[in-house]
Amino acid sequence: MAPDTQALYAQIRHRLIETGEWDQIRGVLVTRLNESGWLDELKNRGKERGRDMDPTTFQAIYDELRPSASSSMSPAVKKEINAVIKQHLDRHLL
Amino acid sequence: MSGESSSCPHIQAELSENFGEAIYPRFKQVVTWNVHRSAAVRAPKRRRISPPRCGVCDLALSRPFACLHCDAAFCWEHGHAITHSKQTNHTFCVDAKSGRLYCSQCDDFIYDPTLDELYTRTVVSAEEKETRFQESKNLREPFKPWSPTDKDTSALENANLPPCQSRRGLVNLGQTCFLNVVLQCLVHNPLLRNYFLGDKHNWRNCKLDTCTCCEMDKLFTEVYSDDPAPYGPTSFLHTLWKVASSELSGYAQQDAHEFFIATLNQIHSTCRGSTNVSCNCVIHSTFAGQLQSDVKCERCGNTTSTIDPTLDISLELKGNLPENTLAACLRRYTQPERLGPKEYSCSKCAKGSPEASKRLSIRKLPPVLSIQFKRFEQRTNDKSRKIDTPVRFPSSINMAPYTTLVMKEMEKENASGPGAGVPFSYLGPEALYEYDLFAVINHEGQMDNGHYINYARFQDEWYRFDDDKVTHTSLSAVLASNAYMCFYVKRHLDYKPYQTPTYVLMREKEEQKERERELKEREREAKGGGSMASPRIVGGGGSENKDMEIEDEIWATV
Repeated sequence: MAPDTQALYAQIRHRLIETGEWDQIRGVLVTRLNESGWLDELKNRGKERGRDMDPTTFQAIYDELRPSASSSMSPAVKKEINAVIKQHLDRHLL
Repeated sequence: MSGESSSCPHIQAELSENFGEAIYPRFKQVVTWNVHRSAAVRAPKRRRISPPRCGVCDLALSRPFACLHCDAAFCWEHGHAITHSKQTNHTFCVDAKSGRLYCSQCDDFIYDPTLDELYTRTVVSAEEKETRFQESKNLREPFKPWSPTDKDTSALENANLPPCQSRRGLVNLGQTCFLNVVLQCLVHNPLLRNYFLGDKHNWRNCKLDTCTCCEMDKLFTEVYSDDPAPYGPTSFLHTLWKVASSELSGYAQQDAHEFFIATLNQIHSTCRGSTNVSCNCVIHSTFAGQLQSDVKCERCGNTTSTIDPTLDISLELKGNLPENTLAACLRRYTQPERLGPKEYSCSKCAKGSPEASKRLSIRKLPPVLSIQFKRFEQRTNDKSRKIDTPVRFPSSINMAPYTTLVMKEMEKENASGPGAGVPFSYLGPEALYEYDLFAVINHEGQMDNGHYINYARFQDEWYRFDDDKVTHTSLSAVLASNAYMCFYVKRHLDYKPYQTPTYVLMREKEEQKERERELKEREREAKGGGSMASPRIVGGGGSENKDMEIEDEIWATV
């Protein structure tokens, strides 16, 4: 990220966390991911992978699951969360 | 609890040095901070809380990883928590949100039973201080962990601890799979399990002839014994026939849901101390919730509310659901419904039957949430039809959006658009609305020619129960199945404010009366009365037995 963008990002991030909006956006994300089955799919994969892995470490499971977790998120959820984020940003950046 | 071992030798070493004094205070501080912060940003009058900054990159932290050896906190995603440990030799850091510990020497997240328990107790203790009861304004009853008396300790030392994991199949005694699945779901219900394994209704002490509660006690004894062979619930079936001849239509139907409700009512009626109103028996304490029905006159806005107790929630599958998910069913269940012109007349409006809408909501959530999907459709002219549409349900669900209080808050927000329908600023810690799945009942085949199986969770492992055949399975198999009934248990239980039990009050009254009687006796003797009757043997055996009986009575209703 360009230094100006980085500075702006840090500022907005601070504001959103301070007001609780970050938590609120996250709450919408988690609810949607749960309802779409994504959360349980990941939980199950992590658990079953951990069962077979020796030695089992968090980082190994995380590295293995992260790419497909990213791509398996439903586009509808992505679109909605982007819209929610935009709503909050619009308020702060007016 | 005890017996579990730590996954990390370094934390064990750390905790054995001055009993963990070096890290406990910081651990508790971080965990407590997170609880209060989460509550502050979610309070209706939102408070701004300045976030901690990463000790390496200075970014505001949404999920701080706090070092347990110094005051600093770090972000995880850029590896700065690990950078800190490498630079300073500070071994442990904790994720403020989950309480999980990272050990830089193991280079992994670790598990330690002592810290795990400390985490739960610290969170519960902090959450209890956050919310007050709505009407009385009292704080929540603080949870106190059980600590053994000397008597308990010596009893435990000499006790034989049998393995009892409840993975015991039930023999099909002739078309009784509907019974077996319900029994398995009751056996794996943590609250019922604790009640019966805690000997709260011992069939040997019960004076009733035909007692379903006793049958449950016997069932728990068998299933939690160390006998792995499938168990035939013949005694239960026998009692069932006796009851069925008088009232149990659920048995004749052989429908698992009808049988489930009928059995709950049977257990309730055979519990000592059960009442018809505001009952405290184990069944009502476990399953009873309250539904609120609000009927609003569209013309004048006047709303009439009725509250009904309920033991479970039955969800329609008829018609088109926007998505086939449990959440969609619950949304439909709680959405406003237009009432027909003849169905309603307003007491406040001038005249006529204006348009009205009715809305259901959950006023009080039960500790165990039982959900039925109405798959068996009764049709008037034809035989009944089975709706086989699969419904996706989660392993965890937050019930806040379907509760009366939160729904009222949500009315102020947009009902549609991005992020709609996800409440944020509502009363109480989220954990009080969060439920975890522990059992599922499936029906396979046709309406009149089908078979029931069930899934149930023991701790973190899932098992499939097909009458006498029990197999280990996975969460994904459970969630992929076509559910007929789902059972969820609340993640954190809330306790009623403490009230001195009636039997203690009665005993104190009794003792007071005794003292007064003795005083009068001595006064009379002092005044010099003639021959008095020999001193009466008071208190002692008589009232003690009565106390035990009353105590017994009260325990049976807990």
